[in-house]
Amino acid sequence: MKTMKELEKAAEAGLKRALAAPGVEEAEVFVSENGTLITRLNYTSHVPSNGLEEPKSVENLGVGIRAVFKGPDGRRNGFGSESSDISAPAVDEALRKAREGAVADPDFVSLPKPQPGARPVLENYHDERLMSISADHLVDAGWRTLEGALDVFESSEELLGLAGGDRSKLAGLGLILGGDVTMLQERMAIASSHMPKPQSDQSTLVMSFTTAMIESRAAKGGGCVVGTSIETDFAQAGRQAARGAIASVNGKRAPGGQYDVIFGPQAITDIFHNLVIPGLSLELFYAGATPFAGKFGQRIAASGFNVYDDGATRGLAASKRITCEGLPTGRTDLIRDGELVGLLSNDYEFQRILRDKKAAEKLGADPRQHRAAMAPRNGFRFGRGGGRHFDSSPGVSATNVVIESSARENREDLLGKVKNGLYIGRIWYTYPVNGFSTGDFTCTVIGDSFVIRDGKLAEAIKPNSLRINHNTHKVLQNVIGVTAERQGTILWAADQIVYAPAVAVRGVSINEIAGYMESV
Amino acid sequence: MRVGIEFLDRARTIAREVVTAYGAKLPHMRECDVRIEIGVGKGAVAENGNVKRAGEDYGFAIGVHALAGKGALASGYVGKQLGTSDVGRFDSILKESLATAHARAVASADAKVRVKSRFTAAGSSIASLEWAPVRIDQKTIPATYKVDPMSVALGTVQEATLDGSKLIGGLDQSVVYNVVGASTTIIRELFVGSEGIDIDNTYAQTEAIVFVVAHGPNGNLEFYDSLGHQRGWEILEEGIDSGPIQQPGLHDFARHLGKDTVETCAAPPMKTTEGPVTVVVDPHFAALISHEIIGHPSELDRALKYETAYAGRSWFLKGLGDDMRGKRVGSFKLTAFSDPTIEGFGHYLYDHEGTPAKRAYHIRNGVYEEFVNNRQTAALFGVPPNGSCRATDATFVPLIRMTNTTIAAGSDDPARILAEVDHGYYIAGHRIPSIAESRENFRISAIKVFEIKNGQLGQLYRDGGIMADTRDFFMSIDAMGNDWRLYPVPNCGKGQPMQAKRMSNGGPTFRGRAVVTGASS
Repeated sequence: MKTMKELEKAAEAGLKRALAAPGVEEAEVFVSENGTLITRLNYTSHVPSNGLEEPKSVENLGVGIRAVFKGPDGRRNGFGSESSDISAPAVDEALRKAREGAVADPDFVSLPKPQPGARPVLENYHDERLMSISADHLVDAGWRTLEGALDVFESSEELLGLAGGDRSKLAGLGLILGGDVTMLQERMAIASSHMPKPQSDQSTLVMSFTTAMIESRAAKGGGCVVGTSIETDFAQAGRQAARGAIASVNGKRAPGGQYDVIFGPQAITDIFHNLVIPGLSLELFYAGATPFAGKFGQRIAASGFNVYDDGATRGLAASKRITCEGLPTGRTDLIRDGELVGLLSNDYEFQRILRDKKAAEKLGADPRQHRAAMAPRNGFRFGRGGGRHFDSSPGVSATNVVIESSARENREDLLGKVKNGLYIGRIWYTYPVNGFSTGDFTCTVIGDSFVIRDGKLAEAIKPNSLRINHNTHKVLQNVIGVTAERQGTILWAADQIVYAPAVAVRGVSINEIAGYMESV
Repeated sequence: MRVGIEFLDRARTIAREVVTAYGAKLPHMRECDVRIEIGVGKGAVAENGNVKRAGEDYGFAIGVHALAGKGALASGYVGKQLGTSDVGRFDSILKESLATAHARAVASADAKVRVKSRFTAAGSSIASLEWAPVRIDQKTIPATYKVDPMSVALGTVQEATLDGSKLIGGLDQSVVYNVVGASTTIIRELFVGSEGIDIDNTYAQTEAIVFVVAHGPNGNLEFYDSLGHQRGWEILEEGIDSGPIQQPGLHDFARHLGKDTVETCAAPPMKTTEGPVTVVVDPHFAALISHEIIGHPSELDRALKYETAYAGRSWFLKGLGDDMRGKRVGSFKLTAFSDPTIEGFGHYLYDHEGTPAKRAYHIRNGVYEEFVNNRQTAALFGVPPNGSCRATDATFVPLIRMTNTTIAAGSDDPARILAEVDHGYYIAGHRIPSIAESRENFRISAIKVFEIKNGQLGQLYRDGGIMADTRDFFMSIDAMGNDWRLYPVPNCGKGQPMQAKRMSNGGPTFRGRAVVTGASS
């Protein structure tokens, strides 16, 4: 990979070159190099398998330029990029593309300017060793994850019992471990008219997302590890998933109805990733496509319920020094004591809403009175499973989303509150089925789930036998308990990490499904 | 000078040399292949009557796959996004990438042997990787279009999106937001394998997406839909009328979706029915059923549990020797297939493993028949590869994907299918799906739901859709229309990292029984 100095020099030289070009009023030069290293896990004891599918990488390097051009018909702004090169010819080519595609956008104000008093707080927060990882290391991380699961499977007395005490019959139980180990290597530098001194950032993220099954017993468990160090214990993701699967052996069906539910960290992450976090983005408020339209400053969740995005805390896995607009990352309080108090934004959306005549109607409050609450701390160029991509303009992405409550409860407290209901640890395909703005959603319960009886976890719930048909507002407003303990949780194709607790919710609508599968 | 699709003439020669001469020298290499892709296109996006983004660019990428190992075989992969500056060093880039993919394969193969021996009970299923043999073809396939994407001015694309956006904004005061995006691209892909397969495929890809938000008495409502085909700019200017593919031009498409949003937003919310009722689904809704409930569970990697942690498994297969082939999964009215050889967004003649494409019947007259596969799963399953392995671009490893996957036409008159219903619901236009993990149950929302009374369409509802257990729903089908249509699906997600792939899905009007779902709010 290019060194940080090389990227900084390229950004600085590129900016000088772009600003010297005819008609250029403002320019921003973004250079980046990314590596996404992934190995998929695919172990099945009852079907011949590879254990690990292809260890692989996706790599890219390049320069992207946003520029404002002045001309006889006014200002035009455009974006262009060039791949695999950050030298002067690449800058020229990117600028040519930006010029050719430039448009007169009436909502565009300027390229990002530094916020008064805001400075990056993170330095040297990543593991340098991950920037030069070898093929052996990637492969080893994948196999260690699988071995974590196989250690648990082979040493389990419960499984041995299910195999009739015969170790040679363990494989016949249908043991599965799926998932992946992913390592992200990101380096970027940026210089612009308003921030001419080049700024840079390098970050790493390692994660493993796993699912284990004992398929003959319809048992499924999930595991997850996130970190920023090469020493991350990947095997933990395998062990956690395998233990979860063993704990849910011989799950039973539960009838449909209205239940008080404790959603585990993965289920809460799923709800937030698919339903809540997108709805807290300023761009959806502008479009009128969020369930929280017109509710800024109003209660949208139970009292004591807090959610914030924090991209600037050391030790949180998705932290960054600066955004892909060159602005400092930071904390944005989104829901405080149940009230909607902040929104995720990039600079374009921030500038636009401040000048939108209908902003007060869309938000429910005058944005000019709440500038800090929607300041542009989340302008990133994420995509393609990882990386800060030179060939796209900044969008709005969350970083570390932290969910918490002012009450310091544990899981037993929540079980006591629910008394009789369901613990739902893992849900799937959680979509806003009637569109974002209605808040309606549906999903199915796929594992790590149990009946709650007399304030205790009782029998496991059979995976894929329940469908939740409910509404985001009802979930947030009917929160009755939140654990103090949180788990860093990732989801397939998600950019952010959610530090999720278990959350108890009153009155969740659930249907029993797929009874015919008992006889297939 | 910017790299263009012409460079692949030279790249083809280099790639042949690398996979044969250079690849053969790498120790314990069984087989390798290189994919090279260059696309050149332009696109624009208009929002609320203003062009917001426009541009013309190229994409240049490679993917290198190696199958190697000592005591066992495993695979390794490298994907790289390249640029014009790489043209002069293309040979060394390919060689370095192949060496890295090979090193990953060998390291994984070594670990495979070690882990298999360490876990004496659970490790027995860890096996050497085999790729089923395929016919060795060399073929050059040209693109089909009337208006070459390269000849279209960027201003033309901008005007098309601007006109569409202005049109939607002017439809009604209830429209609060709209976006219209369009692009046209020419793509050339090479597949060069060490066994001698050499496929040079060029195609055009033109598409548009429309997103509309309206405000009504029951809150806001947002709809989106897309146009697309492997043709030139003509499909957005004129539309297309070719067998099952009948799409209006972008202007009319934008108008229809805008009007649908306005009308539906003003309608009352649907209330969920107590139990299953008679439903008639239109071809657009049938397309998403064919995608989610038939196509996905018919992907053999998913059926063989590879996607347990991501896109899910399949109720069509429990284990080797225990699957639904030859068993009834629906009424005799239901036939469904995947066919990349017919025209559509999922058209090709060779997949990204160089395997010749063919039609695969998933369900014939209600009986399950065939999965779509790749060389790896075909070898494991003991069936011939059917050419269904593709990647979103060359940087990504190819996966088993749907192609043109559709419910087949029946013989019933669609008007009669509706007229025969005393009371039920007409489910028109697909919207958002949520499918159970093994696709054994689903809930899918619709653009519009109409009550049917005495064979006539009545009240329109918003926020409606259907929910059903898959087998029960398929068994309940008692009429299948002769009005087969095929629609583009631009964004089917699968794999890690997630790959969003284009394909076509379709079906005719048909009738069955399901719970009609409504609003929860």
